[in-house]
Amino acid sequence: MATPPASASKQTIRGKTAIIGAGLSAVGRVPGKSALALAAEAAGKALADAGIGKHEIDGVLASSAFASPFHRFSVAFSEYLGIQPTFSNTLQVSGATAATMFNIAAAAIAGGLAETVLVVGGDSLLTGLSPDLALRSMTESRDQQYEMPFGIPVANTFAMTAHRHMKEFGTTAEQFAKVAVIHREHARRTPGAQMTDPLSVDDVLNSAWVTTPYHKLDCSLISDGAAAFIVTSAARAKALGVVKPVYILGGGECYTHEHIFLMPSLTTTGAVQSSAKAYAMAGCGPKDIDVAGVYDCFTGTVIMMLEDLGFCPKGEGGRFVEDGQITYGGAIPCNTHGGLLSFAHSGMPGSLFHFYEVVNQLRGNCGERQVAGAELGLVHSLGAGFATNATTILGTEATL
Amino acid sequence: MINPKDAHLKPQPMPDADSEIYWRGIQEGQLLLQHCLACGHVQLYQQAICRACGSEHLEHRPASGRGKVHSFSVVHRAPGPAFKQDTPYAVLLVELQEGPRMISAFVGADPSAVTFDMAVELVCEPADRGVALPRFRAI
Repeated sequence: MATPPASASKQTIRGKTAIIGAGLSAVGRVPGKSALALAAEAAGKALADAGIGKHEIDGVLASSAFASPFHRFSVAFSEYLGIQPTFSNTLQVSGATAATMFNIAAAAIAGGLAETVLVVGGDSLLTGLSPDLALRSMTESRDQQYEMPFGIPVANTFAMTAHRHMKEFGTTAEQFAKVAVIHREHARRTPGAQMTDPLSVDDVLNSAWVTTPYHKLDCSLISDGAAAFIVTSAARAKALGVVKPVYILGGGECYTHEHIFLMPSLTTTGAVQSSAKAYAMAGCGPKDIDVAGVYDCFTGTVIMMLEDLGFCPKGEGGRFVEDGQITYGGAIPCNTHGGLLSFAHSGMPGSLFHFYEVVNQLRGNCGERQVAGAELGLVHSLGAGFATNATTILGTEATL
Repeated sequence: MINPKDAHLKPQPMPDADSEIYWRGIQEGQLLLQHCLACGHVQLYQQAICRACGSEHLEHRPASGRGKVHSFSVVHRAPGPAFKQDTPYAVLLVELQEGPRMISAFVGADPSAVTFDMAVELVCEPADRGVALPRFRAI
């Protein structure tokens, strides 16, 4: 079992905080609900799950939302919920935002800035965007000077990394497709998942091109949905008598570039550094992790992350997937809810769904999806063509 | 922010104080790189300090305009209405002879002709609304 770390920094968040409540809104196509309403639905469920009232929250961390474009979403959401927190911020490092919220919540609580933090994200990308907001969501995330004039969609930055991975390591389109197929199999066991029709490798390969080497079914979904979590101090979790607190054991981040043309390597990412930092803090390594949530905005993203998170050697991600190592019975079951590819992807909140699944795996709540004996979990969130990477390691009481 | 009524217009570079000289160079057919006089680092894009050593002693020099394709992706589904009529088109990640990489687009042949490590050269022709962009063709 994990042992306390010999970290370079004496400061650590290891085991000082725990997730005591988790809530998920309806996801997929959820018409007639604003991003704020979806977030409120998830927050209400998280509070009920934790068994506390809204006034027991003194901190709110949120990701921003395209469909409710408040400059200060966390502040707007606190008003919507009817609370006045004494610690709050709206975070925006694209897809990596989810894991950063847990890392920052843990640090804020460990450092005394807050005692009980609501981590929340919700958006309505499928049914809630007006045409101008949809356009904005499609184009504004790349630089207008050196990238956008060439017609580079967000998917294109990830596609170029995957393409280079094929060239350097012989990764195949079939291996990419297999990632989508495994995610679909997982989603078929998950109540409420957006996509549950059976899927084959041929279905993926025969779907329309989006941007080579990615077909439509190599790409994640566009969804509505929200998730929320209650994070508090380990002492408060104990005082509340929480039955299965999920402890935050380690966190790490890495920001290697902004422009895709300044990415140091197209095939090795900042996930190497962010996960190394998280492992060191948690006092464990990739072989100790029982279940993982790995950001899956595109199929090739998962293959690269399996390598950079240390689950397999560099260049072998494709074969690792082909050999069934990322599902039940394999080395590291990943995204057992179906991920962004098949469960739901409502933008920045998307990676919160990975957290929701891993938290529930560690609590033993996943029914027929349960990974037997799951004690240590990892979630890796990333965004903006691998510009942003954040890792969080979670564990049960037995891992402390 | 882009207005829906402008959605058919391609995004144009909006030079700032750092990049004005770069875009002026492109209009004149030259791709300017910044050379650090303190440490020798060569960088794209233009900024006030060297990304390697922090020196402010930077000199703009024209690039050879030659490079090779480090990676690429052929876009079939456009990012918005402005690029719809151009699909399929190849977005390139070009590695310049001088070292820096840049995002660009492939011109002069069918996008299916693009391969890894293909030799390419700079083309600075007027594009949308008369504004030149640094694009590349096969040599």
